[in-house]
Amino acid sequence: MFALTLRNLFAKKGRVVSMSIAIVVAVAFLSGSLVLVDTIGASFDDLFETIGEDVDVVVRSSNVVETDFGDLRSSIDEALVEEVQALAEVESAGGDVGGYAQLVDKNGEAMGNPGNGPPTLGFGWSDVGNPMVLVAGSEPTGPNDVVIDKQSADTAGFEVGDPITVLLESGPGRFVVSGIARFGDADSAVGASLALFEFSTAQALIGEPGRVDTISVTAADGVGQDELRTRINSILPTDVEAITGSQATDEAKDDIATALGFFNTFMLIFAVIAVFVSSFIIYNTFSILVAQRTRELALLRALGARRRQIVGSVMLEALLIGLIASAVGLVGGLAVAEGLKRLLDAVGVSIPTGGVVFTVATVWTAFIVGIGVTVLAALIPSRRAAATAPLAAIREATASTLSTGRARIAFGLVVGALALPSLFAGLFADTGSRLELIGLGAAGVFISVAALSPILARPFARVVGRPIAAMRGVPGELAMENAIRNPKRTATTASALMIGVGLVGAIAIFASSAKASINDIIDRSLIGDFVVDSGTGGFGGLSPDLADRLNQLPEVEAASGVRFGFVEVDESTQSIYAIDTSTIESLVDVGVVEGRIDEMGPGDIGVFQDWADDRGLGVGSRLNVRFPESGSQLLTVSIIFTEDELTENFFISHEAYDANFRDSFDFQVYVRRADGADSVQTRAAIEAVASDYANAEVQNIEEYKDSIAAQIDQLLGLVYALLALAVLIALLGIANTLALSTLERTRELGLLRAVGMTRRQLRSAVRWESVLIALFGALLGAIVGVFFGWVIVKALEDEGFSAFEVPYVQFAVIGVLAVIAGVIASGRPAWRAAKLNILEAIAME
Amino acid sequence: MTTGVRAPEREADRTAAARVDDAVKTFGKATTEVRALDGVSGSFPRGGFTAIMGPSGSGKSTLLHCMAGLEPLSSGHVFIGETDLAELDDSDLTILRRDRIGFVFQAFNLVPTLDAAKNITLQLRLGRHPVDRAWFDQVVDTLRLRDRLGHRPSELSGGEQQRVAVARALINRPEIIFADEPTGNLDSTSGAEVLGFMRRAVDDLGQTVVMVTHDASAAAISDRVLFLEDGRLVDEMSEPTTDRILDRLKAMGG
Repeated sequence: MFALTLRNLFAKKGRVVSMSIAIVVAVAFLSGSLVLVDTIGASFDDLFETIGEDVDVVVRSSNVVETDFGDLRSSIDEALVEEVQALAEVESAGGDVGGYAQLVDKNGEAMGNPGNGPPTLGFGWSDVGNPMVLVAGSEPTGPNDVVIDKQSADTAGFEVGDPITVLLESGPGRFVVSGIARFGDADSAVGASLALFEFSTAQALIGEPGRVDTISVTAADGVGQDELRTRINSILPTDVEAITGSQATDEAKDDIATALGFFNTFMLIFAVIAVFVSSFIIYNTFSILVAQRTRELALLRALGARRRQIVGSVMLEALLIGLIASAVGLVGGLAVAEGLKRLLDAVGVSIPTGGVVFTVATVWTAFIVGIGVTVLAALIPSRRAAATAPLAAIREATASTLSTGRARIAFGLVVGALALPSLFAGLFADTGSRLELIGLGAAGVFISVAALSPILARPFARVVGRPIAAMRGVPGELAMENAIRNPKRTATTASALMIGVGLVGAIAIFASSAKASINDIIDRSLIGDFVVDSGTGGFGGLSPDLADRLNQLPEVEAASGVRFGFVEVDESTQSIYAIDTSTIESLVDVGVVEGRIDEMGPGDIGVFQDWADDRGLGVGSRLNVRFPESGSQLLTVSIIFTEDELTENFFISHEAYDANFRDSFDFQVYVRRADGADSVQTRAAIEAVASDYANAEVQNIEEYKDSIAAQIDQLLGLVYALLALAVLIALLGIANTLALSTLERTRELGLLRAVGMTRRQLRSAVRWESVLIALFGALLGAIVGVFFGWVIVKALEDEGFSAFEVPYVQFAVIGVLAVIAGVIASGRPAWRAAKLNILEAIAME
Repeated sequence: MTTGVRAPEREADRTAAARVDDAVKTFGKATTEVRALDGVSGSFPRGGFTAIMGPSGSGKSTLLHCMAGLEPLSSGHVFIGETDLAELDDSDLTILRRDRIGFVFQAFNLVPTLDAAKNITLQLRLGRHPVDRAWFDQVVDTLRLRDRLGHRPSELSGGEQQRVAVARALINRPEIIFADEPTGNLDSTSGAEVLGFMRRAVDDLGQTVVMVTHDASAAAISDRVLFLEDGRLVDEMSEPTTDRILDRLKAMGG
C-alpha cells in the first residue's frame, strides 16, 4: 500500500501541490508569528540583561501597583544612597531617576509615538550600572546638558553642540547636546528615545529633588549578590526592599513577557484562523480525490484490500503531504516574520527586533500543527474511501454524494447547538477563559454553517445564477448547473471563504458600532469646543503650564486638563483620572447625581455609580486607594456620577493627583470658547500657545471624533491585513476545487468544445462558476458576520456600546471583492480547461 | 462563402457538402511516425449518406475527426462546402463546428447537467441563434422525444440519449452530420431505431450524413460505403447490403 500511496502522490502532483499551498501558507504564518514573537522577546531580554549587567543589587520601594505596562513603585529617599554606599560590602551605589521626556526634532516636531510605539524616556546620568556608552561628546555635567541616544541623533541629524528642545513636565526645555550615546552596543534601547541629564537636573526635571526611583549597587570584591542583598536589607526601612540584580533582570523579563503575551495571542489568533481555513480546503480536496478515485479504490477492495489498508493509504498520503508542506511553510515563516514586522511598522506599531530567533519549539509547533491538521482533515474522506463498495468499480460514478446526507445535517445541528452556548458564555459570562470559549464557539458556528450550507447552495445558485444565465447564455447556464451539481463540494469550498468574510464583517460591524458609540458619548458628555491632545496615551503628556496659559487667553472661557494614572482599589488595578474641579463642569458632563465637583478637596474621590452601588458605597463613604507614589490613602467618596466613558470608575482633583503621583501631566486639555469669541480666532489663539508644545495637537470636536475613528481604522487596517490571509487561502481553495472539478469534467468539456463552444465561452463558464461559489461564500460570511457583530456589540453594551451599526457600504464592497476574487481564483483552472485537447478529452475513458 | 453563414439549401445538391483532397495525417516523430491517413481524396455529396468502414487502425476515425475540424491535417485539404479548414484558426473552426456541423458520438454525447431540450438546442444557444420552434417540434416529434424533453441524460436510456444526440445534430440544419459509431453502445433494437432516424434525416429532411462504423448492418443503410485500409481509400461500394459489405471486409482481412 505504501508504494501505491507514493504513486498516487506523484501521479497527481498538480492536485496535491495546490492543496499543499494552503497548508504551506497557514504553517508559514504560524511559524512566522512565533518567530516574530520570539525575536521581539529576545531583544527585550537582551535589553534587560544590558541594563542589569553590572548591577548586583537593586534597592526599591516595596509599595507597588502592578499594571499591564509594568510595575509602578514609589520613589525613595536619596539619603539611602549614602547609607548603602557606606557599607563595607558595597563597592558603589548610585540613584536612578527616570520618566517621560520627549525630544523635539529640528523642525519642531515631537519625535516618537509614545501612544502606539516605544516610549520616550528621560533619565539621570548615573555612575553605577549605567548601560549608556558615549560615542561622541561627553556626559552631561551642567543643567543645560543632555545626552541623547544614537538612533534619535541619527534620525534627526543632531550632533554634539546642537541646541535641542525636550518636552518635560515643566514645559518645553532648551538644552545643548553634550554627547551621543549607545545603549550597550545598540543604537537605541529597543526603539525608545533617551534623554540623559545630569543627575540633580534629572531629579528636578523628571523626578523630585531629594528622591530617587531606585538605587543600583555593585558589590565589593568577593561579595556575592545574595550576601549583599541580605546585608543591605538589614539597614533598610520597612517600606524599602533590596533584590539581587539577577532577580531584577528576571522580573523585568517576566513583565515584558506578560506584556508581549497579548501581542503573542493576537498573532496566534490569526495563525489559528489560517490553519482553520486550510483544514476546509484539505478536507474538500481529499473528498474530491477520493470521489475521483472511486473506481480505483473499489478495484482494490474487490482485489481484497481491507478497509484499514484503504484508510491507511489515504492517511499516509495526508501525512506525507502535511510533512512536506510543513517543512516548506516553516522556511516561508522566516519571510512571513519579516513581512509581519513591516506590516506592523506600516500601521504605526513599530517593533524593535534584533537578530531573528528561530527556536526548536517553533519547528515542533509548525510540524505538529501542519501534519496534524492535514491528517485530521483527511480522516473523514479516508473513511469514506474505505466504505467504497467493491462493486462501485463497475458502476458509473455514484450519485450518492450529491444530496446533503442526514448525518451531515445532524452533525451541523449538533455542532451549532454546542457552539452557541460556548460563544455566549465567552461573551457574556465572567469566566477566566473567555477567549478560548469565544474561539471555540465561533469555530463551531463556522463548522455548523459549513455543514448545513449545502442545503442553501442549490436555491442560492438558482436565484443568483438565473440572471447570469440570462446574461451570458450557455456559459452562464453551465456555471449555474455546475455550481449545484455537487452542492457539498460547492458549499465546503464557499465555507472556507465564509470564515474570512464572516470575521471581516463582524469586525467591520464592531468598528462602525464603536465609532457610532464613541460619537454618541462625545456628543453627550463633551460640551467644550476644542480638545488639545498629547498623543501619549497617558504616559507623560502635556505640561500643566499649557492649560494655565490657555486659561489666561481672553478667547477662552475655560481650559481643563485631564490627568491619568493607575491605582489599586479593592485589590485590583484601576484607572483613575484627575480633573480641574473649577473648570471641568463647563467642559465635560460626567452625570453627577450626588455631590458637588467644585467643592472637591484633596481627600475626596468621585466614584462611578454602578461601581459604588455594587459595593454599597455612597457619598461620605471611605475608600482605600493605593497610589504608586504615596501608597495607601483613605479617601472620602464625595461624588457619585453616571457617565463612565470619559473617566471610567474614578476621578480626583488635580491637587489630590499632585499629592499622590510623582508627575502631573495632562494627557488632554478640553477647551471652551468664551461667549462671543470667534471660533476661528479662538482656535488661532489656542494654536499659538500650543505651538510651544511640540506634542500638543489642537482639534475641534469633529476633528477629535475623526481622530478617534482614525485610530480605530488604523487598528482595523492591521486586522484586515491579517484576515486577508484567510481570504487568500480560501481563494486557493476555490482555485483548487475548480481545477479538480474541471479535471473531473474533461469529457464533458471535450464534448462542449467539439460541438462548438469557444474557448472564451468555456473560460467564461468556469469563471462564473467560480464567481457563484465566491458569492455564496461571501453571503454565508455576511450572515455569520452580522450575527457575530451583533452579539459582540450586545456583549459590550456595558462597556459603552450604545449603537449597533451595520456598515452596508463595506458589506457591498465585500460582495464586489468576492466577485473579483472569484474571477481571480478561476484564472488558472479556466485557462487550463480552455486549453484541453478535444480529441483526447472525448476519447478519455 | 464565409464561416458561420448557412449553406444554401438543396439548390446545389450536386455540389459536395464536404471534400477531401489528398489528406495526409501523421502522428509521432520521424522515426516512430504513423501515417493514419495516407493521401485520401473523396467527395461527400449533399443529401447523401456515406458510411466509412475499415479495420481498427485503418484511419476511419481520424478521417472523420479531420473532416469535422477536430484535428488538423498534416497535409492536404478538407473543405466543408467551399471553406478550406486549413485556413481557419481555432476560434473559426469552433464556430464552424457550432454553426455548420452536426455531431453524433458513440457515447457521452450529452451534457449531464442539462435536460434533453437544452441538450438538443445546445449548439444554437452557444451561437446565440434563435430556436426555430416549428423545426424543433418537428425534430422532437420525429425522434419521439416529446415526453423526454425535461429529463436529464442520466434519466434517459442509451437509445434515448442517442436520439437526443441525433436531434441535436439536426436542429441547426447543419451542412453535414458526422456520426462516430453512433450505435456502438446500443442494443440491436435501439441501434436500428437510431439508424432509421438518421436514414430519414437524409431522405425526408435532405441532410448529409457521414458515419464511421465497424458494423456491417449499420453501414448497409447508407447510400455508399468507403473502405479504408492503412490510411488509404481502397474501395467504394454503392447501394450496399450487409452481405456484400461483409464479403468485402473479409477480403480486406478485417
